[in-house]
Parts: sequence; C-alpha cells; structure tokens
Amino acid sequence: MSEPRDKDEKKKDAPLKPDETSRREFLGGAGLSVTAAALSGAGALLSGSDEAEAKATWGEWFQKNYRLMTEDEKREAVLRLEKRYTEEFGKKTTVDSAPAQEGVLFGYALNIQKCIGCRRCVYACVKENNQSRDNPEIQWIRVLKMEKGNFLAENMDKGYPDPAGIQVGGNAYQNSGVVLEGEHYYEPAEVPEKGHFYFPMQCMQCEKPPCVKVCPVRTTYRDPDGIVVIDYNWCIGCRMCIAACPYWARRFNWGEPNLPAEEMNPVTHYLGNRPRMKGVAEKCTFCLQRTRQGRYTACVEVCPVGARKFGNLLDPNSEVRKILDKKKVFRLKAELNTYPKFFYFMD
Amino acid sequence: MRKTALAMLASFTAVLLLAPALHAEDTYIHYLKNKQEPADCFESRDGYSNVTRTEAEPGLPNVKCSNKTGGVLWWGDPFDGTEPMGEMPVEADYTHEEAVVKPRTGQLKYYMPCTACHNGSMVPYPKDKNPRPLAMHQDIVPDSMNLQHGQGAIWCLDCHNARNRDTLIDHRGGEISLNQPQRLCGKCHGEVYSDWRDGIHGKRIGGWDKGGKKRWWVCTECHNPHTVQEKRYDPIAPEPRPQYPRTRANADHERGHGAGH
Ligand code: SF4
Ligand code: SF4
Repeated sequence: MSEPRDKDEKKKDAPLKPDETSRREFLGGAGLSVTAAALSGAGALLSGSDEAEAKATWGEWFQKNYRLMTEDEKREAVLRLEKRYTEEFGKKTTVDSAPAQEGVLFGYALNIQKCIGCRRCVYACVKENNQSRDNPEIQWIRVLKMEKGNFLAENMDKGYPDPAGIQVGGNAYQNSGVVLEGEHYYEPAEVPEKGHFYFPMQCMQCEKPPCVKVCPVRTTYRDPDGIVVIDYNWCIGCRMCIAACPYWARRFNWGEPNLPAEEMNPVTHYLGNRPRMKGVAEKCTFCLQRTRQGRYTACVEVCPVGARKFGNLLDPNSEVRKILDKKKVFRLKAELNTYPKFFYFMD
Repeated sequence: MRKTALAMLASFTAVLLLAPALHAEDTYIHYLKNKQEPADCFESRDGYSNVTRTEAEPGLPNVKCSNKTGGVLWWGDPFDGTEPMGEMPVEADYTHEEAVVKPRTGQLKYYMPCTACHNGSMVPYPKDKNPRPLAMHQDIVPDSMNLQHGQGAIWCLDCHNARNRDTLIDHRGGEISLNQPQRLCGKCHGEVYSDWRDGIHGKRIGGWDKGGKKRWWVCTECHNPHTVQEKRYDPIAPEPRPQYPRTRANADHERGHGAGH
C-alpha cells in the first residue's frame, strides 16, 4: 500500500531538491560538498557521539512530517533517534519504522464481565510504552470502577434528585441502571469488589477519529491498519485532540517526561513507544511496535483473567471476529459515529 | 499591592511544598522507589502459576514483576518454560498455529508428585468411589463432604484418577494429564470449552498473527476447581491507583464532576 505513495512522494520531492540540498549544506557545514553531505547525513550524525543529542534536535527541527517523508528520510530520522536514545538511556535502543501490514485492520475486544479491575493492563502498558512514571504520571489505560445497578420497582417513585452525578432513572438514594459515573482512584485490598464491575478505557482507534479531524498540523492520522498514530515531532501541543476525543484517551506531557533509564523499554517504534518530549500529546497505539510484528499487545498478554482479545478484523478466523459473531457486543458512545474498533462484549 | 504579591508568593511556596506530599504513598513511583522487584511472581493464581524472573536475552527480562503485588506486569518472553500442547480432541482448531502450554505438573503447589504418597502402599487404593471425609488436603478442600463443584454432585475421584494420582480421569475412564485439564472440564462445560477453543474464553499470549506461536492458558491456570463455586476467580490485590491531579489530595472531585472526566 505504502509503496506507490512513497514513489509519488519521491517524484513530488524532485523539484524540491535544490531546497533540500541547500538545507543539507547548511546542516553539513560549508566545507562539505553538497552531495557528500546529503549522502553522509546519517553518517555524520553517527560520528561525533558527544554531539548526538544536539544534532538530533537540530535534525528533528528541520524534519518533515513523518507521513510525508521519503524512505531515505525515514531511515535517517530513525538512525538519528536510535543514536540519541542509546546514548541518553545507556542501552542499545532500536526505533522501528515498520508500516502497516497489508490486509490487516486491527480490532480489540474486552469482556466486560471478566475484568476484575486489577489494573495490571495499566502498568503493562506503562512498562511497554515508556510513559512518564511520575509528575506527570501518564497512563493510557484508565480502569473505571462502576456500581452494579438495578431498576427496583419499589424505589421508582422515591426521593429527590441527587445533586452529584448524572442520574439515569431510579431515585435520589439509589441510582438505577448503570450510570457512567466511574471512579478510577479506587484502592481496595482486593479486587473484584462485591457489587461492582470494572470498565477499562483506552484509545478506541476510531474509524472516524475526531482527534484527527481537529489536529491543525496533521500530526495525528490514521494508518492503513486502522491505528491512529501521532508524529510527536510535529505535535505543537495545542491539545485540540484531547478536547475532541470523546473517550478521554489522550494524555499530555505537561512536564519533561520522567522515565528512569533502567525502566526504559529499548524496543521502540517511531510512531509508538519511543520516548516522548515535553509538550506533546500521546495515547494508546495498540502497541504497534509489537502488533506490526505479529505479537499481541502488552495489555492482552498481561491480563490475568483473559478479558482482553486482539486481532485482525479482516480475518474471519481471528479471535475478535469470532467474538463479533458469537457474543453480545457494544461500542462506547456509538451514537457519536466515531466507529470505534474497540468492542466490549459479554458472555 | 506588595501584600498581595507576598501572599501570592506564600501560597505558591505552599503549593510547591505540598506538591510532593500529594503524590506520596500508594502511587506507582512510590513502589518503584521503595520496593524491590520480586524475583518470583505469579501470573493469575499465587502459588499455582509462578514465574521466576530471568534474562531471556542480555538486558531483556522474561517477565517484569509488580513491586506492589508480585503479579506479572509485562512479558518479555511469553514462551518461557512452555512446551507443545500435544494431542487435543479433534475439534481443536489450532492447526494453523503452533500452540504451546506451560506444563502444570511442575507448578502445582501440592505436586510432589502425588504418587509419592498415593502409590497404593503408603495410601492404599480406595475400595470404592463413595465419598468420605478427607483426612488430608483440607487446605484444598476443607470439607470434602460439602464440596460444591457441580452443586455437590461431583467429588474427588470423579476427576482425580484413583489408580494414578498424577493424572486426572474422564468419565469414561480415560487418563488425562494435569497439563490438559480442559479435556476433562470440557466434558461438562461444553459451551465455555467451545469459546475457549475459539480463543474467546481464557487467555492466550504470544502472537495474534496466523501461523504464529501462541501460548494457550488452560482452565486450572485461572480457576481453582475446588473453590470455583464460591469465586470463579480468586480475588487479588490491585496495582496502585493513578496519582491524583496536582491540586487534589483525594478523589472527592471525581464524584463532583458527575459523568467523570
Ligand atoms: S479514541 Fe480518542 S484518541 Fe483514539 S482515535 Fe478515537 S478520538 Fe482519537
Ligand atoms: S488486566 Fe484485565 S482484569 Fe485487570 S484491569 Fe485490566 S482488563 Fe481488567
């Protein structure tokens, strides 16, 4: 899929060449010939190790939007980042740039009756995706604790409205039915707790993502496998996407991310879990650094009750498709026509 | 003017001083800093499904364990300690992938193996299959006369092989390995078994892709058949809550917001 597009871009790029070379000349210094500098762009960056970060920053500043970059430019950016992270975190770091696989549309399913609210998925995600650990503490998955509710005939006509919360039926003393009023700071000794169920939420990888629609610099977009990605280098931190997302899925790095070197996961992807900088938005990407290599997401693998399922929506034998065939399924806020590819199901 | 500026400065300092206190205990970073990652952690049931943390490759651990609860938090090597699932009833559609399981026999808390005692001489073979109170293993089943599995219709020797205690037995007398309890459980729980085969019920880790390698989790890795009647899944301690927003010392604001954030 991406091949012809890249070729097109190369053609489109051709007239821009003089501009490109002058930029290279500028970057490479006056002493170097234009072609040599262009060819050895990555090489030059790899040589002076003490300057890796400065050069990386410099290079990023002049970098195109990832979506518009040629294969060569991508390779160069990736090498630059690998060098930078390896130096910064003191371990061999790889930055993958694998594109979407053909014939794959990722989907997710979560058994809402199974989830026990243990939050292991939250931290598996943090460990996998290099989120900031503290101040700001960033977590992409949020697990809401909800009360189980019932419509009880004898309570229907009682009471006055409850000032707090949204009441759906019932009465002032007992909300009936399920209210979307979850609590995510719960901390009991053991889960699951009696009379409650748990509702994990993360990016739904909408087919029509409002976050993409509002982004003024188009740094966030939908890849062909359905994953909504963010090119952190182009994010200007306006937080429009955060306001537009109806699922509270995006997070913002208000401060310099705090990622201890020994905790850092060195297997990264440019559009996924590579370390972020201050002032950019981020969110779940279905662990594309894993899933584009055929592996399950970290949250699927860690869930102790097997509530989480993941697979290719275009493969009728995949687990998600079988769930869509056999189970009662719903999508969150389906009425907004965002077409989430995150399905909640029941036995 | 001066006074307000001073007051502002004072309150600003107060906020600065308060900030660390608001983020203190019960947060991830607290456990990260104050407790060592255990070398031994459990997958779903403590004592039954434990993994020892090793290095799969230099610098890459096979698992990461929770400093707070001792649960597995991340898999570097999902196939650590697994072996091919082996023979399965024909309906199992796993021909298009390589299915592996983690052998249960070495994992069981009480497995020494069972035949070390139940060999027919130390503990004689039972004369018949009639229920009687347990003299041992009361930590597993406190009162064998009140075992609730199958609403009391099922008891020990309906599943455990009297002649070879290292194995299970199906209702036609076929021996079943403790590594493949699904072949026994599925005899009664057909619907769940069918979901399990489809990958809907239960857990699989490894690869989603066709032709890949997958670790299938079997029934008793998550459920304790002796207590499953009261609790389908043994309760476990949850991981730490997220940090409160910087200006909040508790979660009260959440309720005030109504529909949440
Ligand atoms: S859930 Fe939110 S962040 Fe994710 S694609 Fe939809 S709108 Fe965007
Ligand atoms: S790990 Fe599974 S059971 Fe635990 S909170 Fe996440 S989805 Fe729920």
